[in-house]
Amino acid sequence: MNRGEFMRADYINLVNTHIIPIEFTYHAPETIEEALKLLREYQGQAMVIAGGTDLIVDMKLRRKEPKHIISLGRIRELDYIIEEDSGIRIGAATKLRSIEKSRIVYERFEALHLAVKSIASIQVRNMGTLVGNICNASPAADSAPPLLIYEAIVTAQNLEGARKILMKDFFTGPGKTCLRNDEIVTEIFIPYPPRDSTSSFLKISRVGMDLAKVNIALLLKFNSNVVEDFRIALGAVAPTPLRILRAEEYLKHKPVNEENLRKVEEIVSEEIKPITDVRSTEWYRREVSKALVRDALNIAVNKVMRK
Amino acid sequence: MNFHVIGRKTIRKDALARVTGAEKYASDIYLPNMLHARVLKSPYPHAIVKKIDTRRAEEIGAIVITFKDVPGRLFCPRLVSTPDATYKDWKVLTDKPAYVGEPIAAVAAETEELAQKALELIEVEYQVLEAVFDPLESMKEGAPKIHEKILLNDRVINVENNIACKLELEEGDLEEAFNKSDIIIEREFRTNKGYHNQLEPKVAVVNPEPDGGITIWCTTQTIHNTRLLVSEIFNIPVSKINVKKLALGGGFGSSIQTNIVVPIAVALALKARRPVRLAYTKEEDMHEHSSFQMIFRFKVGVTRDGRLTGGYMENIMDIGAHQIQAYPLLGTCAGWWVSLYKLKAIKYIGVAVYTNKIPSCAYRGYGNPQVTWAVETIMDELAEMLGMDPIEFRLKNYVGEGDLFWGQGPTVKSVIRSCGVEEILRKGSELIGWKNRPKPGEQKGRYRRGIGIARGYHTSSAGSPIPSQVIDYSGAILKVNEDGTVDYITALIDQGGGTLDAHAKIIAEELGLPLKNVNIVSADSQTTIYDVCTHASRGVYAGGGAALNVARQVKKKILELASNVLNAYPHTLKIRPDEERGQAVIYVEGVPGKEITLGELATLARIKNWGTIAAVESFRPPACPPHFTGYFVEVVVDTETGIVKPLRVVIGADIGTVINPELAEGQLHGGFMMGWSRAILEDLRYSKDTGDIECKGFIIDYKMPTSKDIPEEITTFFVETYEPTGPFGAKGLGEGAQNPAIAAIANAIYNATGIRFYELPITPEKILEKIREKEKREPMKVVAEKLIDE
Amino acid sequence: MIEVTFILNGRLVKIQTEPNITLLDLLREELRITSVKRGCETGECGACTVLLDDKPVNSCLILAPMIDGRRILTVEGLTKDRELHPLQESFIEEFALQCGYCTPGMLLTSKALLDLNPSPTIEEIKEALSGNLCRCGAYQQIINAILRASEKLRRRLNYKP
Ligand SMILES: Cc1cc2nc3c(=O)[nH]c(=O)nc-3n(C[C@@H](O)[C@@H](O)[C@H](O)COP(=O)(O)OP(=O)(O)OC[C@H]3O[C@@H](n4cnc5c(N)ncnc54)[C@H](O)[C@@H]3O)c2cc1C
Ligand code: FES
Ligand code: FES
Repeated sequence: MNRGEFMRADYINLVNTHIIPIEFTYHAPETIEEALKLLREYQGQAMVIAGGTDLIVDMKLRRKEPKHIISLGRIRELDYIIEEDSGIRIGAATKLRSIEKSRIVYERFEALHLAVKSIASIQVRNMGTLVGNICNASPAADSAPPLLIYEAIVTAQNLEGARKILMKDFFTGPGKTCLRNDEIVTEIFIPYPPRDSTSSFLKISRVGMDLAKVNIALLLKFNSNVVEDFRIALGAVAPTPLRILRAEEYLKHKPVNEENLRKVEEIVSEEIKPITDVRSTEWYRREVSKALVRDALNIAVNKVMRK
Repeated sequence: MNFHVIGRKTIRKDALARVTGAEKYASDIYLPNMLHARVLKSPYPHAIVKKIDTRRAEEIGAIVITFKDVPGRLFCPRLVSTPDATYKDWKVLTDKPAYVGEPIAAVAAETEELAQKALELIEVEYQVLEAVFDPLESMKEGAPKIHEKILLNDRVINVENNIACKLELEEGDLEEAFNKSDIIIEREFRTNKGYHNQLEPKVAVVNPEPDGGITIWCTTQTIHNTRLLVSEIFNIPVSKINVKKLALGGGFGSSIQTNIVVPIAVALALKARRPVRLAYTKEEDMHEHSSFQMIFRFKVGVTRDGRLTGGYMENIMDIGAHQIQAYPLLGTCAGWWVSLYKLKAIKYIGVAVYTNKIPSCAYRGYGNPQVTWAVETIMDELAEMLGMDPIEFRLKNYVGEGDLFWGQGPTVKSVIRSCGVEEILRKGSELIGWKNRPKPGEQKGRYRRGIGIARGYHTSSAGSPIPSQVIDYSGAILKVNEDGTVDYITALIDQGGGTLDAHAKIIAEELGLPLKNVNIVSADSQTTIYDVCTHASRGVYAGGGAALNVARQVKKKILELASNVLNAYPHTLKIRPDEERGQAVIYVEGVPGKEITLGELATLARIKNWGTIAAVESFRPPACPPHFTGYFVEVVVDTETGIVKPLRVVIGADIGTVINPELAEGQLHGGFMMGWSRAILEDLRYSKDTGDIECKGFIIDYKMPTSKDIPEEITTFFVETYEPTGPFGAKGLGEGAQNPAIAAIANAIYNATGIRFYELPITPEKILEKIREKEKREPMKVVAEKLIDE
Repeated sequence: MIEVTFILNGRLVKIQTEPNITLLDLLREELRITSVKRGCETGECGACTVLLDDKPVNSCLILAPMIDGRRILTVEGLTKDRELHPLQESFIEEFALQCGYCTPGMLLTSKALLDLNPSPTIEEIKEALSGNLCRCGAYQQIINAILRASEKLRRRLNYKP
């Protein structure tokens, strides 16, 4: 028994979910500009709140203790889903529920639609945002695998200007992103997937409303009988959501048959680095990842055939 | 039998308040000028408080109490057993915490925010001790000592090897029984540590009265035992303590004992001389109560023709850091075992062991679901070994009508007078399609279906013909109002199953009243007479017995007075519900005009100074009749993920006369959902690193089924029996509704996969591991190959 | 202290509060709307559900200032002139409650569902309710109650005097 561990673990008296046991100043700016100024003014002490479904729990649990909270709720210009020629743009204040109900997301980005629909409950989706989901950087964030395979681009802004971050560079660790503490993510751009490709999303969890033990998104496109494009990403199996490039490379220009599938499964189970935690075990995560790869591929192939 | 309200569909009396948000739970009580309290909890699973400094907390205006400020005498928070069978090892606040979360000190302040601040200002220096989380480890020489001395009633006893208490039983010649057996099976089972997860976290609101008395609003399944306990701890006369009866947001056993929030809030209120409210958060609630966790070792013999001979059972119970009457549970576990199937000889060893974990208490079924899981697994295995149909094998051996039943351990026994087991099993097997079930383990392919069966029962109350170690009686007061209604006053708490609706129906039936004329009025411990507790599925049977008997007394008085008014002999009078007048009418059959409504009679009684028509009844149930249930569950197992889903569930029940069919059905549905949860999901696992439960009290990691997890189909049915000792032939249901569920689910999983699990919960992780051990992963049909061929 | 103005069950409320107060706290502790229940207070159980601009949300995960200028409905506001909402009637008629602690949240989530989708399928109902836990296990009865209420509402809509 490691007593040192216990010494640090005084959470039992700090946590109080009845209330928010910390004090902060609340700011509700009406423009991005204003929000950025506030963020700079209180840099290091301020946090952005979108839906609050992660942040409020984290404050109740004393995982985060900001002195200033800057709400995006009043910034009208951040709530949108815009279709463009090359893809769609989703604003940082756009609720998960709006994305779930969006026609264009349903039609062109099925993996994202399914992933968003699988997040929490309707209540939480009415509050939470897609941008919040990735900024929170949970390894199990359901929207991450789809955003990875669609190669989404995140726009982060500070007072100096905006920069584009590729989804694959966004996560840096559990709860960690490459965002600077004076930056706000203003939108996510998701390019349309290649014509005639299909995508799918699957998630394994304990009950009907739950975080993932493992989740997966993949995209598949055939050229006659061989795979032309293949992208695959998994969540909750490593410190960050993971795109498995080696598996993608392997399957390209090959037919989807039992042998190749086995190989893809194998590569995936080698590349992931799951852990044992309260939700599941390392062994199980590795093992079901294989089944998920196969199921997700089957679904995607089926869809191609139906087209 | 022809009843006018019993067995009919009637709406719940409390439903209107519940759908309009008007219902008051303890958490809804706000008093003027009230302080808010918080509890300082031990961050260590085992430690000694060396120093505690509360000055800084007091400086910001908080009232603070520590273990130094509360009475030091040990107590037991549950008062259902008689004192001679009650072990005591609790303090309100302790300086030697024995689990993470154990209360050390408490504060009260003007707001919860301030109370939280004060809490964080208390400085504590701990000497951290080694902790033990496994009962087998805990009993070993050299294991950390969790308690040195405890009390048995008032006698000091030494604790040896962390053994809290022990019970051994022996009947018949077991050696001979085993010698005569053709097959002897030996198995070990491990159960999980469950959390009740009732939606309403524990709460107490306490008002100190000017005369030194106190009024308490709290989550409880027993207002009278709460007041007795508070009186015992604080040495305040019982009559000065008043505990209010309120709606309870789920109990499932978690408030049979007085929750620790009650004495803590009392201590704070006494010190502050102001009302105090102590409401636990969900995380704190999860650190307050959990189920017992058992290791069972069984050895059972059977002859070739399928007769059980004798059995040995060992029950090592992990009870956590304190006893909440673990001793009677040692007895009931033995009872649940021997009352399932006939055994000529038995030997039972039960040991309750302390560990540095959250204290364990009753959790729907009081050990019965766990024992039934083990026994029904063994029955399934034996039937297979014998080549017998599992249902026929059960029918050959079950304890039924005329047999002796152990309702609450070895001291609570009575003879079974009503039993519908055979009908339950026959009808249930037809409904589920038992004959067509697959052979265990023979299925191929990814998704495998399986049907499992298990039967069980629970006692209805802890009544018996002779006194026992368990206190069991109910009280009722009934008075007739001038508007022709009756006020029913009882201390008995309805956990949500609709127990009090059943009482109202019993009273209406006996008095010939329209159901709406029975008022279930608000009550507290001052205005009611004693009722032990809502547990042991005793609400309808024992509480209903009190209701029936008090109604009988009132009826006698009504008839006597009416006989004066109507000038007829009392025993010739009849009462009928008159829907038009909305009243009961007392009349002489065949003599038109000779009638009077109950309201007129009550009014006349007042004007003429005859007095109020009223009665009091204190009722001891004469028996502990089992209500029987049978579960038939069909599941599908995904052999690629280990995930199990419930498809169809058939539940049959014998509860004697069915007083409230719809509510009884609700109990069966709820019973399955809880059983499902306990079979495949729930477990408070401990982390050796933190010494705390892995989920740390957050239900995001202690899951229960949602609306999306319910079976595709649940069919329920009731078989007709009549319990001669029950009110209008009724028995209980709350716990039997769930007891065999886990076993049936486990047997269904076996039927689907050919794999037996001896450890709960049966998670996808465990299932997949076993499947992978047993067979190689088959290639699955790849749809894409078709694409290539075409 | 900040001022928050919102509409609660059809009535305008102006109240001074701290920013770290949750909507749940504001409703219960300040306004004594006790139908909004305290459960897990971490977004899991749905006992604290209210409708915010007609949409179900967990009041335990909303800061008081976030509701400024918005509309809140609780069960107290479901009943109009003492007349029960068809959902309330159906919950009674279908025995869709036991301890009743989940009931207010269940009613509000169901109302939001029926408002948008007057004839939901069983699957849609299950999906909609997945954020409202019922430990008493009354899910089946609750689903039946919603189906019944949906029928009542449809009948009401078609009703032409
Ligand atoms: C009960 C419950 C169940 C859940 N189940 C799931 C689930 O199944 N799957 C899943 O993936 N998630 C789940 N979640 C988490 C999910 O609700 C969130 O991840 C949600 O999407 C976060 O969005 P938000 O707007 O609420 O974020 P917030 O809580 O407002 O913010 C989250 C974090 O991101 C930062 N942030 C937010 N917006 C920006 C921005 N524009 N720029 C910079 N930083 C920003 C905040 O500072 C904060 O640190 C669950 C949560 C709860 C409470
Ligand atoms: S109390 Fe808000 S979701 Fe449980
Ligand atoms: S009725 Fe008790 S939690 Fe739903």
